[in-house]
Amino acid sequence: MMREVAWRLFAGEYNDATLEVEGTGERAPSYVITPLGAKVNRIFVVGVITDVENVGTDMQPMWRARVSDPTGTFHVYAGQYQPEAAAALSKLKPPVFGAIVGKSRVYSPEPGTVYTSIRPEAIKAVDERVRDFWILEACRSLRKRLDAANEAAKMDPPTKEALAQIGVKEALADGLVQAAAHYGKADLSRYTAMLAESLRYLLPEYREYRPPEAEPTVTEPAAKAEAKEPEEPTADEDKVLEVIASLDKDGKGAPWEGILDAAGQVGVSKDKLEESINSLLDKGLIYEPILGRMKKI
Amino acid sequence: MSESEIEKELSSYLNVYRVSLDTAKRSIVKKHGGNPAGLAVGINKTIRELVPGEQSVNLLARIVAVNEKDVNVESGTKRILYGILGDPSATIPFTAWEPLNVPLAKGDVVRVTNAYTKEYRGQVQVNFGVRTTVAKEKTDALPEYKPAAGVGMPYIGKPTALKVVDLREGASNVAVTARVLSVEAREVEVDGAKKAVYSGVLADDTGKSQFSAWKDFGLAEDDVLRIEGAYVKSWRGIPQLSFDDRAAVTKLKDDALAPAAKLGESPRMWIEDLAERGGGVDVTVRGILIDLREGSGLVYRCPECNRVLRKGACRIHGEVKGNADLRVKAVLDDGSGALTAVFNRELTEALLDKTMDAAIAQAKDAMSVDVVRDELSDLLVAQPIEARGNVTSDDYGLMMIVDTAKLLRVDVQTEAREMLEQMEGSA
Repeated sequence: MMREVAWRLFAGEYNDATLEVEGTGERAPSYVITPLGAKVNRIFVVGVITDVENVGTDMQPMWRARVSDPTGTFHVYAGQYQPEAAAALSKLKPPVFGAIVGKSRVYSPEPGTVYTSIRPEAIKAVDERVRDFWILEACRSLRKRLDAANEAAKMDPPTKEALAQIGVKEALADGLVQAAAHYGKADLSRYTAMLAESLRYLLPEYREYRPPEAEPTVTEPAAKAEAKEPEEPTADEDKVLEVIASLDKDGKGAPWEGILDAAGQVGVSKDKLEESINSLLDKGLIYEPILGRMKKI
Repeated sequence: MSESEIEKELSSYLNVYRVSLDTAKRSIVKKHGGNPAGLAVGINKTIRELVPGEQSVNLLARIVAVNEKDVNVESGTKRILYGILGDPSATIPFTAWEPLNVPLAKGDVVRVTNAYTKEYRGQVQVNFGVRTTVAKEKTDALPEYKPAAGVGMPYIGKPTALKVVDLREGASNVAVTARVLSVEAREVEVDGAKKAVYSGVLADDTGKSQFSAWKDFGLAEDDVLRIEGAYVKSWRGIPQLSFDDRAAVTKLKDDALAPAAKLGESPRMWIEDLAERGGGVDVTVRGILIDLREGSGLVYRCPECNRVLRKGACRIHGEVKGNADLRVKAVLDDGSGALTAVFNRELTEALLDKTMDAAIAQAKDAMSVDVVRDELSDLLVAQPIEARGNVTSDDYGLMMIVDTAKLLRVDVQTEAREMLEQMEGSA
């Protein structure tokens, strides 16, 4: 029995999947098939674990983690049958870079609604370098599928034989044929944009404009300032960080309106506040757990 | 049921329904509960006479070799038999796609009825399908098959030219152009007789392969050769080139292939391609160590049989005082496939940057060997790694015995920039 490969797949593509194919026969694996034809039984993800929550009971815990990548959020569920992963999750202090290998799952509460998730086999806290490498690998994997999906889109309908002839491997060819039957024509421009965006995410030249405050403005201590870590926040940013930390009462992040008011009270204008928030996001000192809320890392 | 009734029925099929005689006969036998498979009349042939596309052929042959394997079919996996049939005229590969009602063993003489043939990689192959019946005969029904010294069973047709990377188990009558990287002579016993075999490693620009030459072709290291009429066997899944008297070996000019130093490099391969081939000699893969397997870290081995002890006991020799060893068994996944990579003591010591003695002391302090495993896990899991070694395969998948390994430091930004430029260039 060949071990199933661990797909490197962005949340943006994985969460678009609504097709699950059950294996036939004894112990045959089941797959989640994405619109680009990835036939996913096992998945490997490295992202920011932004929150971990017990959505079960104390007696029967079910740990849910959200894991962000540049394109979206994975949902990871570990219960009593994944004791090691559940134990690892319960000990993590988000936010933290995490590597997760697990099995693909879909959940359909009602017809027409499908949620994908991951049932973890192993979870490990890692560093940013590992995460960046994962993004690169996920980009390569996505590009391979995009190229093949582009070819498949020219066929009506695509067949495994025709795809094999242009060098598409069997597993992907099979996935593309099934994807075409289930999803119809995939929106390739969406995934091309996803690929470009993820690549830019890795490149400092594409990061948002940094406000001049972030640069050393005084000439005298310049040498000293340059020797500093680039992640060092400016005075305004320090104030904003404090505000965010103090307003984050329930652990879900500080609401935007509150930050705006409180920042005004400590002398940070709305413009400066926006600059500071963007800069802090860039420096990885805060993040947006949900839209409209900011949380200190 | 009288003969005249059957006659009437047959006449009705033929004259009223106007089906073919063959169909009519099959239908009638089936209708009355018989097995129509016994009906069809195959043509008796010797193996030498077989051509591709035989619909129904009968053979009297000896099983020269037989193996089982699982193949993937639409409804899941299926166990098939494959091997080699021989008669005094020639040998030929065969595959039994359906379960047989007699077990087959090497040396059996069988009467095969209603087999069919196909051509695969330039070689005729015999297939046993649903209609085929196989019955055992007395072993003296056929003179014992011997790959007679001096005269092998000749191949039919022209050899198929293949690159080393494209060699697959079971292929025969192939032609390969390759450079001998190493060769040594040894003596083996075949059916009680001593025989010299010349084995080593050869390579072309696609990869390396072990080889065995069953005749003294005067092979020397660094020779560039054209070998025509070779066949491919496998050792632990790795395809290997074999050739004997039937082969023609021609020495080519040295510049016909890249120099040995270049061909000796380990080719980078994707795991899915290794899986498809069954393994490879001295290949390099890059992937991520996604999990440590049971038995990684500081282990103790049975002094008798070298098996790893579980809870201080050997599976065969019971409670023994084990010898310490340090190793890693990890799942290496490159996004196209996965294999189990085994790192020996030396490599593990290098990865940990500590000696086994230091690891033993560490485990004593912690009163558990788990600390070594945990340290390895911290160090290796989720890390990109490049590993080089031989990859074998069995029912449990691929395994690499790692020769050299290094953790990769990838320049993510440069690669991302390149990909982005390619995208923008093509847009």
